[in-house]
Amino acid sequence: MAEYKLDCMFEACPIPLLKALKKLKKMKIGDVLIMQTDHNCSITNVIEWTKKQGHYIDYIEIGEGEWEIYIEKAK
Amino acid sequence: MNLKSKINNKPWPYWVGGIILAILNIILLFTTGSAWRISTSFLYAGVGILHKLGINVEDWYYFNVYNNGLDSGQTYFNNNIMLISVAIIIGALISVLFFSEFKFKNIKNKKQLFFGLAGGILMGYGTRLSFGCNIGAYFSAIPSFSLHGWVFGAFMFVGAWIGSKILFKYIL
Amino acid sequence: MSSNKIEELKKRRQKEIKPKKSQLPYFFFVGFISFIIAYYFLNTNIRYSIIWTIGIMIGITMQRSRFCFAASFRDPIMVGTTSLFRAVIIGLIISTIGFSIFQYIQIGNIANYSLADVPGQIHPVGFHTILGAILFGIGMVIAGGCASGTLIRIGEGYAMQVVVLIGFIIGTVLSSNHFEFWDKLFISSSKTIYIPKHIGFFPALVIQLTALSTLYLLANWYDKQNNIMADL
Repeated sequence: MAEYKLDCMFEACPIPLLKALKKLKKMKIGDVLIMQTDHNCSITNVIEWTKKQGHYIDYIEIGEGEWEIYIEKAK
Repeated sequence: MNLKSKINNKPWPYWVGGIILAILNIILLFTTGSAWRISTSFLYAGVGILHKLGINVEDWYYFNVYNNGLDSGQTYFNNNIMLISVAIIIGALISVLFFSEFKFKNIKNKKQLFFGLAGGILMGYGTRLSFGCNIGAYFSAIPSFSLHGWVFGAFMFVGAWIGSKILFKYIL
Repeated sequence: MSSNKIEELKKRRQKEIKPKKSQLPYFFFVGFISFIIAYYFLNTNIRYSIIWTIGIMIGITMQRSRFCFAASFRDPIMVGTTSLFRAVIIGLIISTIGFSIFQYIQIGNIANYSLADVPGQIHPVGFHTILGAILFGIGMVIAGGCASGTLIRIGEGYAMQVVVLIGFIIGTVLSSNHFEFWDKLFISSSKTIYIPKHIGFFPALVIQLTALSTLYLLANWYDKQNNIMADL
């Protein structure tokens, strides 16, 4: 399994989600994407989208208004 | 685990937000007689500054048709619409501070700056033509049974589609 | 939905993270000041006090639920999720009922009411509405937020959204300055259409609620189709 990092700090609204989509397409099954973001909307819209696609996802808060989202590609 | 960490962080589902916003908009209509609007406050901020600089904005054609002028006793910085816009900013600030999620986010690069400014100008220009933004000409207009709300909503999808194309091509 | 790999990564990361600095003192400070403002208006201008309180509640609701009108239009097109669009539709259904009660109280018993007496947002519809909507739609997607979203994000601390606000102000001032041109071109020749005036009050209410419910079901179906606009 490989780990990929994606830095989405200071990005405006749809960009974090679109970057994650782009990266996920290139990854293999079982790879994990670690996404750092400070956008409040990301923790809802990225999670909603990945859940809908059936990937594993969870997130933790790493600072004031900063989150790390983990996505494991499942299919 | 105390109570605070239990309610911490989990964003509310979207539909909860939709219901609360609708109820607040109804209360606003019942108590003040006018529905929720935003974009006119931005216009008032702009012309208020011009007014302070000595430009006679009241003489503009815009302020003399379609009841676009101010109510009596109100100024460009002291009116209902301006007040609610400031209150929304403060409300969001209170909400992030309560969960200790406030972070000052600087502008990332020149591209972001350019598209932000261009997008803002396009939005601002559009609001005057359609008599409101997607609050005044959509979220408050459709419940008022005005046809322009439906037309505005339908063609917003066209605009959003063009915007998405631009976004994919130049920003991503 | 989490997996073992993710749990492991989370545990590893959790050890490195510094505890969060509490921003509660600032919360109490800002909260106290806004309470004072509400209290001050209560004695001078009760309407302002109500508007101020509702505005604060709108801000809190939109921030907590991550509500974003721009995304409700953009997400169905870009990534095929319509949960936010459906939330807006639910809001519209509820406010349609509320607004219709208020309008009925105001004009329900008057046979020949004029449109100026109808409360709410009622304005001319025509080609200018289409042009404005398209301009607004483009702007809202490339700026990453509509008018309300911009206000919320300023409260959250985005410097970028202050730039959007400045652009917005410039745009509205320019547009109102050019208003005479647009008025002569489109607006003065277009009609204000208040639907109940043409088909009656209750038919309008029933048709609107049916249309909104249909849109909701349609959006629900679209969400399940799972299509994405572009192959990135």
